[in-house]
Amino acid sequence: MKNMKKIWAMLLALTMILSLAACGSKKETPAAEEKPAAEQPAETPAEEPAADSEVAAIQSKGTLVVGITDFAPMDYKDADGNWIGFDADMAKAFAESLGVAVEFVEIDWDNKVLELNSQAIDCVWNGMTLTDEVTSAMECSNAYCNNAQVVIVPADKADQYQTVEACADLAFAVEAGSAGEAEVDALGYNFTPVKAQSDALMEVAAGTSDAAVIDSLMAAAMVGEGTGYADLTYTVGLNSEEYGVGFRKGSDLAAALNDFFAAAYADGSMIECAEAYGVQAALIAQ
Amino acid sequence: MSILEVNHIEKHFGATQVLNDISFSLEKGQALSIIGSSGSGKTTLLRCLNFLEKPNGGTIAVNGNIIFDAADPATQQEKEIRAKRLHFGLVFQNFNLFPQYTALQNVTLARELLAKERGGESKKEIEEEGKMLLAQMGLSDRATHYPHQLSGGQQQRVAIARALAMHPDILCFDEPTSALDPELTGEVLRVIRKLAEQKTTMIIVTHEMAFARDVADQIIFMDGGVIVEQGDPHQVIEHPREERTRQFLARYSEN
Amino acid sequence: MELILEQMPVVIHSLNIGFLQTLKLFFVTLIGAIPLGLIISFGSMSRFSPLRWLTRLVVWVVRGTPLMIQLLIIYYFPGLVLKNNWWGSGETGRFIASSVAFIFNYACYFSEIYRGGIQGVPKGQQEAGMVLGMTKSQIFFKVTLLQMIKRIVPPMSNEIITLVKDTSLARIIALQEIIWAGQAFLKGSQGISGAIWPLFFTAVYYLIFNGILTVLLGRLEQKLDYFK
Repeated sequence: MKNMKKIWAMLLALTMILSLAACGSKKETPAAEEKPAAEQPAETPAEEPAADSEVAAIQSKGTLVVGITDFAPMDYKDADGNWIGFDADMAKAFAESLGVAVEFVEIDWDNKVLELNSQAIDCVWNGMTLTDEVTSAMECSNAYCNNAQVVIVPADKADQYQTVEACADLAFAVEAGSAGEAEVDALGYNFTPVKAQSDALMEVAAGTSDAAVIDSLMAAAMVGEGTGYADLTYTVGLNSEEYGVGFRKGSDLAAALNDFFAAAYADGSMIECAEAYGVQAALIAQ
Repeated sequence: MSILEVNHIEKHFGATQVLNDISFSLEKGQALSIIGSSGSGKTTLLRCLNFLEKPNGGTIAVNGNIIFDAADPATQQEKEIRAKRLHFGLVFQNFNLFPQYTALQNVTLARELLAKERGGESKKEIEEEGKMLLAQMGLSDRATHYPHQLSGGQQQRVAIARALAMHPDILCFDEPTSALDPELTGEVLRVIRKLAEQKTTMIIVTHEMAFARDVADQIIFMDGGVIVEQGDPHQVIEHPREERTRQFLARYSEN
Repeated sequence: MELILEQMPVVIHSLNIGFLQTLKLFFVTLIGAIPLGLIISFGSMSRFSPLRWLTRLVVWVVRGTPLMIQLLIIYYFPGLVLKNNWWGSGETGRFIASSVAFIFNYACYFSEIYRGGIQGVPKGQQEAGMVLGMTKSQIFFKVTLLQMIKRIVPPMSNEIITLVKDTSLARIIALQEIIWAGQAFLKGSQGISGAIWPLFFTAVYYLIFNGILTVLLGRLEQKLDYFK
């Protein structure tokens, strides 16, 4: 048995060494192509902005990886499984202006900063509210769309909750880390954080919470007649807020996108795109 | 020339001396019985002969060839041990049959593996011999049974057939009836007695004094890792010379 | 009810795609973890004590931390700390990272089961093989292995059933397995939004698949029942 165990021990050691070696070599190959102008650690963003142009890095890589979730009307799939929506279409146009291909990757919304900083994606472009958390963790573009946080309640009780004050005694469900959570927290209302806005809706539908707070754009698409939540409706708006696109801290892509937005707004193509998805009213002038 | 010559075997586990200067020899066709209380080193001695333990000192010679010399590492090479083991067969106290094989497969497995490696008899020939050995053990009708379907006595007889299938020069028994119910020991002892009549060279570690006396040509009494007395069975058991032998036998007959 | 029937074809199609991903991860994990677990179990029984303790330490860490954290570390660590995301961003990279995490995690669990299985085979079996002149590999493959397999089938069955359900953890790194697919209709996807039933309906897939596995593993156990 001694020999046998020796052999296994050697095999095991070999496997470990090989796997380390494999990791090591993998580390080197893409680094040679991608790394030259790549991302710097979060602590040193301001130091070397020009030297580390991410625009150049993306162009040499040839692909802009856009992190999204399934979020109509900003990002969603058409019948053929292609990503469309106001955000998706604008992202395609932006990538085209940089001369690179676009790749959409569905992410877990909770992990968007992780995804960005680990270079799994290059930007978050998904109707993202520009909260303090977002702007401190990402390099954000100018705001391009208005949004509000609205209260969702069962339709049959809607008339009781038409003001912010009337909602004081409700038990809310809100998405953890969302702008809606920040609002109810600031008001000192009683709330339960859940994993997603859609989970907050389910809470109300199931009666496990009295009310939810979600994005008005989403509310328009998801509750009321003809939707899965026909018995729910939205009442009072808690605040107004703005959507923006997030990049890695210190990235010059944000400035490049601002220039692109300005140009697209000026030539009317951005408004045209917004009209196609019914969000023109919320569009912010660039 | 003796078939087996054991000289000055020493064995210790850590600080405990288990075998101390053990020497004896065995002639071809003879049966040797080793008696002694538990912990006297009998089983360790058998395990040394079968290379399950490595002695710390001494030599073992079979047919005049030294197959083990504690002072000579060349005789301890892993590769050769396997071939050297085949000089000996060992029947365990707990049978140690392979549970996933039938009685016949237990008998033929090792032989088939060896034949496949070195060439030799066909599978069929080995099987025929296996059946013959089982018949010799009175187990013809149990060839396709699995160990758990057999009684303890039957299992031990399969184990004996399995050891015989390898044609060992010397067949060792390590308390072959100790794990059996009293009513089952007879069938196993009968088989061993028959082997002795056929002049099979054997070493039998046993607690069955009457059996040892009747079957063995030579008897060794061990105590505390040393050979206290050896010689003719009738003489050792009926007229022991040593005080320790006498005490052991007296204790034994009381039980 | 009418609404559900209307949504059914789209949802089922989507769940099927998600379940395919679940199955892929399940089988890849098994194929990788079953042999790797054996290597690890030999490491944890090695006579070379540094290797033995190192292996046991790794097994302890892997078994003592949540698989969800391991997934996060394995997928995000290269990009976050080494500044080089070698997994890539697409679905393939996420699948490979999930597979690595699952294989390693399950191999550690399997290794402990194997260790119990190997050590549970009486020493006398090995010795019987040795005195019959069998080689070490003959003893392992012809004598010990099947007895070990018989011992490990029941605990392995438990782990395998658990694995089916654990695959859902991979959605933490956005691997789009069946629960992800079901949840998508809650938020809205392919024109269906706020549909709760697809998420719960995924349970039916797990239940059926685990039912099939239970029957197959039960048969294997029965097959090995011919000896004791």
